[in-house]
Amino acid sequence: MSDSRKHRILMVSDFFYPNFGGVENHIYYLSQCLLKLGHKVVVMTHAYGKRSGVRYMTGGLKVYYVPLRPFFMQNIFPTFYGTLPIVRTILIRENISLVHGHQAFSTLCHEALMHARTMGYKVVFTDHSLYGFADVGSIHMNKVLQFTLADVTQAICVSHTSKENTVLRAGLPPEKVYVIPNAVDTAMFKPAPERLSREEIIIVVISRLVYRKGADLLVEVIPEVCQMHSNVRFIIGGDGPKRVRLEEMREKHSLQDRVEMLGAVPHAHVRSVLISGHIFLNSSLTEAFCIAILEAASCGLLTVSTRVGGVPEVLPDDMIVLAEPDPGDMVRAIGTAISILPRIDPQTMHLRMKKLYSWHDVAKRTEIVYDHALSCCNQSLTDRLSRYLSCGAWAGKLFCLVMIIDFLLWHLLQMWQPAEEIEEVPELVFHNREESWNVNEDHGLI
Amino acid sequence: MTKNQFANARYKYIHNGSEGHYNDIDEHHIVIRKGSGYVFFVCLLICMLLVHTIYLCLQRGMPGYYFGCGMLLSAILVRSSFQKLVVKESVVIFAAFGVQLETHYRSGRIDRLFIPIHKILKPILNEHVTPVTCYWSLALILHGEEEMMLAFKEKQLPLKMLIPIWKALCAATGNGEVTNAIAKMTTD
Repeated sequence: MSDSRKHRILMVSDFFYPNFGGVENHIYYLSQCLLKLGHKVVVMTHAYGKRSGVRYMTGGLKVYYVPLRPFFMQNIFPTFYGTLPIVRTILIRENISLVHGHQAFSTLCHEALMHARTMGYKVVFTDHSLYGFADVGSIHMNKVLQFTLADVTQAICVSHTSKENTVLRAGLPPEKVYVIPNAVDTAMFKPAPERLSREEIIIVVISRLVYRKGADLLVEVIPEVCQMHSNVRFIIGGDGPKRVRLEEMREKHSLQDRVEMLGAVPHAHVRSVLISGHIFLNSSLTEAFCIAILEAASCGLLTVSTRVGGVPEVLPDDMIVLAEPDPGDMVRAIGTAISILPRIDPQTMHLRMKKLYSWHDVAKRTEIVYDHALSCCNQSLTDRLSRYLSCGAWAGKLFCLVMIIDFLLWHLLQMWQPAEEIEEVPELVFHNREESWNVNEDHGLI
Repeated sequence: MTKNQFANARYKYIHNGSEGHYNDIDEHHIVIRKGSGYVFFVCLLICMLLVHTIYLCLQRGMPGYYFGCGMLLSAILVRSSFQKLVVKESVVIFAAFGVQLETHYRSGRIDRLFIPIHKILKPILNEHVTPVTCYWSLALILHGEEEMMLAFKEKQLPLKMLIPIWKALCAATGNGEVTNAIAKMTTD
């Protein structure tokens, strides 16, 4: 790719390091691979405690921890226009060409995409989750998503199921949505050097112990499996409101010696827990993708999972046993997994995962999406407003009003502080070999 | 003795120093030009306060001493605003001795702070992020001190004006090899 096609990307989300999770890891690994491809990547998120201001991560990844206090579930308070000045400043000083927002539940992402579109930037949105249609929360969330995606340049989903879900929720044309699955760091998740003995079968569960992750299913499944298979043990890592139920189940059925509860497991220790087991059990009730089963497969574990959302798309059939989110079917699936365990070779599984999933591949595919986004034509405010009007009888008019006010505020801001007064940040070039900072001679500063 | 200067709408940078690596006294001044606008704004606020006080006195028939108190308060506010107005900030580098930070106020008062050269570990350029904007500042990391010392009280100074001062401080404090690795910045 020629130098002229190198992009300057601003990743925006409420979810980033030092938090650990699917979205956080996705942004981090994607950014690192894009940096290696020669693009410039800057991340914008809210401050985490004392972690506020500008930070540089591995590879020269610049992160703006904007001092905005999280309000609800790691999201900042929605102010509509409060983030316009800081988003504008970052876009100008970093000379950004494209804005990439992550996660439908991120307030900062929605606001940044709205402001970026007002200022004429191309935007890409990645949706990481599945949502329903029926409950009050989902209805409101879908309306917000409809507003943001009405004018988005391109969208990315992590599975085909997620694409269908996003297209239906947001009313987006399917041709605008790309499917780029997540990946796993196979260098970090390697099988144990020696194969475990099969005298005792160990089933590993690592997830947040919440309703959405099927913790209630585990309460039903574990005692039955322990009764049917005397040589099976469970290791449960994770914490959450449903932990109490699991501990009660353990007490009730006297399974203290067969069910080990580890509590919250730091991400750095996940691999050490996984390689102590033979089978990974995922009981989620909804999943757009499920990186956890990728990590387990990369460590050589056979996966048993509920057949929900995008899970069937993640692993080949010989690496996963699927079951309906029903205790009886899950017990049957675990029995099937135990019977096919002798055929599983962890090293072979790991090597297959290495070929199937890589973040470098994700970055290259995302790069194509960026190229398509930047080749789209620019649109005037009136053209864009017509898209918002189609969002609903009342909602459409409200969205148009919001965008008009944003447009006016942007012009006021331009008069108050012209773009020429905002200095561009000098380029910093990080050479991996020398492990030192050098200076881009055009801009000239350390 | 060389004199360089450049300016933008808000600030003017003046450099008085000798050519060559060793300057006996190297002066870097930043003159704040926004003073007149600020003074006008403060006076306008004071006038509004006075008018409001007069209105209250006339409408409600308040005793004259309320009017006098209002005048006195206004005078105190004007005086304190003027006294705190910064018109110029300077970084004066005395080769092999130290660095003097000066703040010149409109009232004529000058605050000076001398830092011996051996106390300065490193001068740095810091990038700040606030909820509404980002800006640069020049700070000194001092031996044995937890807090950095800001070279200028005025915030949001242009980076182009801070860079030559930072380079001069690096050269004076023995971080010259860092400066040599930097490509020349043009001061347009």
